[in-house]
Amino acid sequence: MARRGANRRTMTAVAALALLAPMALASCGGGSSGTASGSGDDNVLNVQDYYNDEPGNTFYQKLDESCAKEQGMTIKRQAVPGGSLIAKVLQQSSSRTLPDVLMLDNPDLQQIAASGALAPLGDFGITADGYAKGVVDASTYKGKLYGLQPATNTIALFYNKDILAKAGVTPPATWDELKAAATKLTAGDQYGVAFSAINTYEGTWQFLPFMWSNGGDEKDIATPQTAAALQLWVDLVKDGSASNSVVNWEQADVNDQFKAGKAAMMVNGPWQEPVLDATQGLNYGIVPIPVPKAGDTAVAPLGGETYTVPQTGNKAKQAKAAKFVQCLNSDANMTLNATTNHTVPTKTSVAATYAAANPGMKTFVDLVPDLRARTGELGADWPKQATKIYTAVQTAITGGQSPTQALAQAQNG
Amino acid sequence: MSAATAVPATVGAPAARVPEKTSRRPWWATVVGILLLAVLLFPLYWMLNVSLQPAGSAVETPVLPFHLSFDGYRTAIDQQSRHLLTSLVVSLGSVVVSLVVATPAAYAMSQFRLRGVGVLLFAILISQMIPGIVIANALYSAYNDLGLLNSVPGLILADASAGIPFGILLMRAYMGSIPPSLVEAARVDGAGQIRAFFSIVLPISRNALITSSLFTFLFTWGDFLFALTLTTSDDVRPITLGIYQYIGTHVSDWSSVMATAVIASLPAVVLLVFAQRFIAAGVTGGSVK
Amino acid sequence: MAEAGVSAPGASAATRPGRPAGGDPVAQPRGLRSGRGRERLLEVCFLVPAAVYMVLFFGYPVVKNVMMGFQNYTTATFFTGEAPWVGLKNYSAVVGSSIFTKALVNTALFTVGSIVGQFVLGLAIAVFFHRKFPLSGVLRALLLLPWLIPLIAASAVWRWILDQDNGVLNRVLDALHLTSSHPGWLTSTSLALIAVIGVNIWIGIPFNTTILYGGLQDIPEELYEAGALDGATRWRAFRHITWPLLRPVVTVVLVLGVVYTLKVLDIILGLTHGGPANATQTIATQAYNLSFSEYDFGQGAALGNILIVISLVFAVIYLRVNRRAVDE
Repeated sequence: MARRGANRRTMTAVAALALLAPMALASCGGGSSGTASGSGDDNVLNVQDYYNDEPGNTFYQKLDESCAKEQGMTIKRQAVPGGSLIAKVLQQSSSRTLPDVLMLDNPDLQQIAASGALAPLGDFGITADGYAKGVVDASTYKGKLYGLQPATNTIALFYNKDILAKAGVTPPATWDELKAAATKLTAGDQYGVAFSAINTYEGTWQFLPFMWSNGGDEKDIATPQTAAALQLWVDLVKDGSASNSVVNWEQADVNDQFKAGKAAMMVNGPWQEPVLDATQGLNYGIVPIPVPKAGDTAVAPLGGETYTVPQTGNKAKQAKAAKFVQCLNSDANMTLNATTNHTVPTKTSVAATYAAANPGMKTFVDLVPDLRARTGELGADWPKQATKIYTAVQTAITGGQSPTQALAQAQNG
Repeated sequence: MSAATAVPATVGAPAARVPEKTSRRPWWATVVGILLLAVLLFPLYWMLNVSLQPAGSAVETPVLPFHLSFDGYRTAIDQQSRHLLTSLVVSLGSVVVSLVVATPAAYAMSQFRLRGVGVLLFAILISQMIPGIVIANALYSAYNDLGLLNSVPGLILADASAGIPFGILLMRAYMGSIPPSLVEAARVDGAGQIRAFFSIVLPISRNALITSSLFTFLFTWGDFLFALTLTTSDDVRPITLGIYQYIGTHVSDWSSVMATAVIASLPAVVLLVFAQRFIAAGVTGGSVK
Repeated sequence: MAEAGVSAPGASAATRPGRPAGGDPVAQPRGLRSGRGRERLLEVCFLVPAAVYMVLFFGYPVVKNVMMGFQNYTTATFFTGEAPWVGLKNYSAVVGSSIFTKALVNTALFTVGSIVGQFVLGLAIAVFFHRKFPLSGVLRALLLLPWLIPLIAASAVWRWILDQDNGVLNRVLDALHLTSSHPGWLTSTSLALIAVIGVNIWIGIPFNTTILYGGLQDIPEELYEAGALDGATRWRAFRHITWPLLRPVVTVVLVLGVVYTLKVLDIILGLTHGGPANATQTIATQAYNLSFSEYDFGQGAALGNILIVISLVFAVIYLRVNRRAVDE
């Protein structure tokens, strides 16, 4: 029995280790000792964003460095791939290693603010005076301002000037005109219009202007107004004016189609302009997304990223971070940002000056006062609803159900 | 050609008894093989095609790259060589760590009669069912406290989590067919367990070791999750993360992406071809005689 | 099934079954029995590094994941650490959701389709490569290329190949006059799952082929000779020599194959994001959505745990059935 005994003892030891280790790790992992997060060095600001590709990477690196220099500091900047930013932020939250300055895509701010990880900017004497309403809505949680957004963008209708001229079509302004134009412009392997109806938040984002301009509301999507908007999309695909592949296209894919001449019109944003400008032989124009009836207001979704100051436990550094955020939002930097990145300043006065100097961006600047924040009404409950929207859109477009049914099922299911 | 083709591993087997062993297939098999690979690897050809296109026009890509453009490669080589080196070091490191930890365990689990082996086996199987993100999240906290973030050893250890359980399961299956009488014979001659392991078991398990290393290398080479989670700066950045420099939130530079992917595969392909030659035929065959 | 030491080569190799978990008892020559305790300790030492590693790297995540399934875990929890216990609420929410049945069916179809395709094709190719021919070594190495490509690049390429309007696949099908209309591989609810299964098979073939090839190479050549002397044809040789001896390797390939396939996430997300209209939504992708799109980590973990249970049940059943078959 000696050998059994030795064996059993060893096994018991292993089992004990197996039980203790996770608990030990759990106490380690919970993060907690007051080690200040961000970097230990008081003269270095940790900045985190998702501008990982050019030209954003170089631009924001320079901009961040110059703003830090104003306070005699340097930066340590980390650019995370877009889709992984929130996962990283959550990891950093739980280990209390949030950066000093955190850029967030504006619809994500509510979630992170709700978790208590962000410091209200009012504590540092920062207000959002002079900013467009939608911008303020997006960065406000429970009445307090948590982020300051220097630049915004939205989507509009791009059209290929040459193709439209050849077909004798003028850029559409209403839904009926859109349908007619799209039908007329569909020929051969060229579709009349392209948009993104993918089952991610990009698809929802593209659908919002159609829904909102018709009076639909994100709180309850099972309404006739939203159904009518969805019917427009369904009709465009059924008619053959838009490809079936819209359900699998991101906005980048839509741009590729437009660039290659496979689509005469597309719904997309100004960030595509550098690529389009670089394409030989492409003459494009931009008009607001068509509204249901002539005279309706075009309501477009608010895009762009907002800068926040996480709770790092280091009050002095947070104050410096707040000043940094203010610097990024200075009139001069706002204009520089907009000009380089093809976005629009968020302060109405600055936007007006900018529009005068950049007539090409006029369409987008005009949309700014009416830009609507996606999280404006639902706050931290937006993600679930956004999922319902794109689910309903996909079900309707793939022919599974009628728009009314699809919306009802998504809303209530 | 691979060295171990027709000759068996038997020692002292009379040559007359052994006819031409692994009968070779005729040359047309090579043609079939090439066609098979052409079909299977077509997407890789497409990747190469896109990488040679000017400014990543992904939609209208013709079947052959008529307008050759090496811009993508220029960008990739300029910016990604360092990351390639990091990937290589981390991958080779995790192969070594996985082999060192998994091989003795696989041997023990297939040949020794120990209680609790069943439990460990079960635990290993369960570990393969855990989504990677769960492990990554837990590791981030631990690494942060231990100061292992942005370190090559840290990445090696984390990536071994793909190689060790898999290696144990795989090698255990291969080692199961080792006749215990082999080790027996060595023990009778006075060799200890460890000596028997090194001089008998390891050489016989060559196929198992190589196959397991191959997959550990591939798992680590393609790992994105740990690369993303366990690094916070550009110092230690494997190429799976480096490639995202060209994939923005809105726009992607596909020729650079594909060029990077092609360049990233080259050293690994060399290693693979090199390693495959060592998967020998019938290494265990006849050794019992 | 005690081993009686050295036995005739043909008999021992062909009749010894694949080793089950415990292994056959090793007959000890009398002289070693006195050091048995020390011997055991040494044997355990072979296992210790692996056991320690598994506990450190997997123990905590598993425990945490199981617990998360019972908690109301949101983004706030990451910062505050508070996660109120909600018992089985997450599980009932997840199982009761309208997507669950669809995801379950898709998961079953996806897994069965992928495994059957990968295994059959992988085995066929492994057998093909088993007997050498010029360049077979290089070709075998190149077969692993699909695994070298970063998944982001591979899924982008497949999306272009499968594109309805301009994709190469449809262009080829057109040229061969196999279809009149352009099938929407990734955009039609009826075809999307098939397309995704196809891509997954493409990814899985190298895995199966390489492992099965290694296993085939380990089968002693003499057995085939002995079989040939007895008049066995190629097919009978496969059934009676190859298959039984390949069994332990086949077991690993199939069990791991199912476990990995159930977990597949990146390729589905890269190709269709689970769409269109949830046509390719599996339990794994839905768990990911719950956690990272809707930020309900408790439900995501609950669904993930359900997946682990499914994997476990399959593994247990398969191993039992296999052991019984082997014992017969």
